[in-house]
Amino acid sequence: MQQAVLEKRPLLPRLPLIIPLMVIWHLVVIGASVYVASWLARMSITEFNERYSNIGPAVQDFMTLVLLLPAVLGAFSSVQGVRLHPSGRYAAVALNFVGMVLAAAYLMHLWGVYTGIDEFADGVVVNAGWLVGIAVAYALFWLAGRLDSESAAALWLERLGLGLAMLALMGLLWFAGAAEAAVSILETYAALETWLVTAALLIFGVVFVIMLYHGPTFGETTQQKNAWQGWLMLSPNIIGFALFFAGPLLLSFYLSFTNASVGQVPSFTGLENYGDILGLQVEVLADGQNPREVLWFGYGELTRLSIGDRTYLVGASDPLFWISLRNTLIFCLLLVPISTIPALLLAVILNSKIPGMTFFRAVYFLPSVAAVVGTSLIWRWLYDPTIGYFNYFISGGVDFLNSVGIGATDPEPAWLTTSGLALFSVVLLAAWQLTGFNTVIFLAGLQGIPRELYEAAYVDGAGRVRQFFSMTLPLLAPTAFFVIITTIITGLQVFNEIYTLFFVRPLPEHVTTSVYYLYNRGFFRFEFGYASSIAWLLFALIFTVTLVQFRLSRSSAYED
Amino acid sequence: MSKRKLFLVSVSLLLITSFVLPAFAQDDVTLRWRTRPDNQAEIDVYTAASQSIDEAWDGVSLEYEPGGSETASYQDLLIAEIEAGTAPDVFWIPGTDVARFAEAGLILNLADLAATDAEFSVDDFYAGPMGFLQTPIEGQDTALWGLPRDVSAFAIYYNADLFDEAGLEYPDGEDWNWDRFLEAAEVIDGLGDEITGFGMNAWWANWGYFINAAGSSFFNEDYTACGLDNEATVAGLEAALAALEHGVAWGNDAEPPFLAGTVGMFINGRWATPGAIANAGFNWNVAPLPEGPAGPTNWLFWGAYVVNANTENPEQAWELVRRLTSADIQGQIASLGANIPSRQTEEAIELFLNTLPDSGVNNQAFVDGAAVGVTEAPLFSGDWPAIDQAYGTAINDVFNGALTPQEFADTICGDVAQYFEQ
Repeated sequence: MQQAVLEKRPLLPRLPLIIPLMVIWHLVVIGASVYVASWLARMSITEFNERYSNIGPAVQDFMTLVLLLPAVLGAFSSVQGVRLHPSGRYAAVALNFVGMVLAAAYLMHLWGVYTGIDEFADGVVVNAGWLVGIAVAYALFWLAGRLDSESAAALWLERLGLGLAMLALMGLLWFAGAAEAAVSILETYAALETWLVTAALLIFGVVFVIMLYHGPTFGETTQQKNAWQGWLMLSPNIIGFALFFAGPLLLSFYLSFTNASVGQVPSFTGLENYGDILGLQVEVLADGQNPREVLWFGYGELTRLSIGDRTYLVGASDPLFWISLRNTLIFCLLLVPISTIPALLLAVILNSKIPGMTFFRAVYFLPSVAAVVGTSLIWRWLYDPTIGYFNYFISGGVDFLNSVGIGATDPEPAWLTTSGLALFSVVLLAAWQLTGFNTVIFLAGLQGIPRELYEAAYVDGAGRVRQFFSMTLPLLAPTAFFVIITTIITGLQVFNEIYTLFFVRPLPEHVTTSVYYLYNRGFFRFEFGYASSIAWLLFALIFTVTLVQFRLSRSSAYED
Repeated sequence: MSKRKLFLVSVSLLLITSFVLPAFAQDDVTLRWRTRPDNQAEIDVYTAASQSIDEAWDGVSLEYEPGGSETASYQDLLIAEIEAGTAPDVFWIPGTDVARFAEAGLILNLADLAATDAEFSVDDFYAGPMGFLQTPIEGQDTALWGLPRDVSAFAIYYNADLFDEAGLEYPDGEDWNWDRFLEAAEVIDGLGDEITGFGMNAWWANWGYFINAAGSSFFNEDYTACGLDNEATVAGLEAALAALEHGVAWGNDAEPPFLAGTVGMFINGRWATPGAIANAGFNWNVAPLPEGPAGPTNWLFWGAYVVNANTENPEQAWELVRRLTSADIQGQIASLGANIPSRQTEEAIELFLNTLPDSGVNNQAFVDGAAVGVTEAPLFSGDWPAIDQAYGTAINDVFNGALTPQEFADTICGDVAQYFEQ
């Protein structure tokens, strides 16, 4: 009897129709994926470089592997899907969702949306007068809302408003060129490719939606349902991250091992770029000896160190890298205290219950949300030694001191051009921008400290100063850690302020920071491979600094 | 007809139209081209020029793309587009960039196309820029990297009211030399606390003028090595330092205070003239740069229209370059008064001299400056961006007192030797 039951049991569970349909569709995807991947793999490197901006053979291999991913995912989801295993469904959902998004993005490219949207937007701006109609329609609706909702007048006003809004919208779209845009989109269907991509988009979309709602078929639990919903919510960011961040990141890592230059096919050079960037030479320099006599070819003098009665000459194969690194570290060392200590004090003040504090919180935060380029240009003006306000106020102060008999000389600082002052001027600007942000973070930390602790301390006789140093500061340690870390990272990546504040290109050495230097090597000297290596070294530095900070923070937390 | 049939007929018509329309489309070659305009007025005049060429040229459609300004990283965007394969067919680049674009293979050598073009003559243009544009790179016998869009030169913009107040003659005449120039700077500087005698920006061309006027040069004669290790460099820098003792602090943009009426003299190119006309609320004019020990000198600034190496239509792109640099189009653009035509013909010069007739600006000063100008050089045998940075850093030390002119002259050529091809 038992044997009979086993014999009647089907090999596969009874499948809903969507599963075989999904398998058929995935077979098409696998076929397309393998076909495109093999087409790319067989493409000559010359043709590949011509098609894809001289990006090199390693990227060809990498792209081939990436193009095989849909085949792998399709095969896996088909096998597991037929077995009604949840992993098959998840793989199918992921494959079809990503396929749908990429097909939609590519279809928009074929439609010319990316290049035509500017023109359409210009058309909307030029014909923005039609928006008056929508404003009038809104006014009619507002008026209708003030009347008895059952009255004929209210109904009449609502209809009039609706009609007017529709008319204005249609007029705006018509005159902005919506009809021409629609025709130009239709014209793209003269090509078979557009039809294929549209069909792929629709099928990916339909399979995705159906598989999404077939959870019960695969024995989905509530926890699993919550999980995929979460992943779905995250998906725009994940796809964006993969395409626009992780992709370029990987590419730059690859380029850092090549001699990539604009318009040239990169050749693999191994660690040569890193060696050229980091190469150092230390030699003893005799009195009166010319440094070039002891430095290797291609090395320049970086600095001299006097230890005892000996002078050591430090040479570097790329002195400017070390100089830019030094400038960046000095920038950070100055930026951290200047942007965090005032921020902490401001946060303590703003945390009080003095009237108008909400207003001041917004005011202090404004520099953080203002565009860096705009504020930098304003600061460039403020720093102008002839017509700038900083020197105007300094001169006024000096005049005042002289008028009361204190002899003072006007220093007339040339903020942006004096070697010793220029970097500090950038720090001031950056600190001004960061202080508001840091203040808000400190404020959030302060508001997380329970009031009862202060009341207890007060009862125990602790004054304000004691409370601040013995309670507020230790309890703010995690917040302070976050603020310092983000400030250091911001400082190590400084570029916008430097780029905008100084209008002479290339910049003199004393204000060249690491990121500006890599930009300079990439865009001025066309050395994208070398610039990528600098970027990765900078990444290693930031990562190390952050790691050390984390370790220090944890060990101090344990001590507490 | 039922609604359903009407719908089906409409959709069918739409689909048929979408297939048929492309068949009727003209089989034009479309060329995209780009310049770096300074303002909306220039964008308008270039747009009009593009339209006039387009209308007169059968089988080719033009799309003009005004590039960003200098501060908006015109070249950075261009390089990114070249790398991505989306750069225009024809674009403008500054003269100093021609070498690095050519050596990187980003622009097309037009020599063969020009050789078969009976209407083209090298002699129509200023010789200096054409010399550099015809410099072949390794492995080439002949070259033509493009044609100059326009040229420009420096002049002294002077505040006539301050000269009157100081009782000075306006800066002109045969004895307009460094002695008079330095004296004028000092006297005007003495007019008041907020008045300064002279101003110049930190761009290499400004201090480079003093170097050239003293008889030195950035490079040696064949542009293969540094040329600053001599006493003339010292003399030029000492003169510049002396002028700045009575001037706007080194490195700061001298144009705003000049336009505010607080600077007696200010060095800048022709491109600053429209801004001065629009913004200066005092009597002003321009004069030739003062004559230094080595005689009259100036810079000949230029930029060129070049052809994208990856253009699909090289013949048409060359034709566009020629049309964009024709006397007619240069006349349209010169009418703005911001640039001097790159064609060194009497007709073109006359055209420029008659621009901005209501302003009373001494246009002749620019033409005279261009005639004696040292041509802005693209460096085919060295790394100009690296040399530029090294020169700039050292010169900054000179003007900030960290390095003497003599120390500069003694060390600078050694510092930059590695950036020249050996």
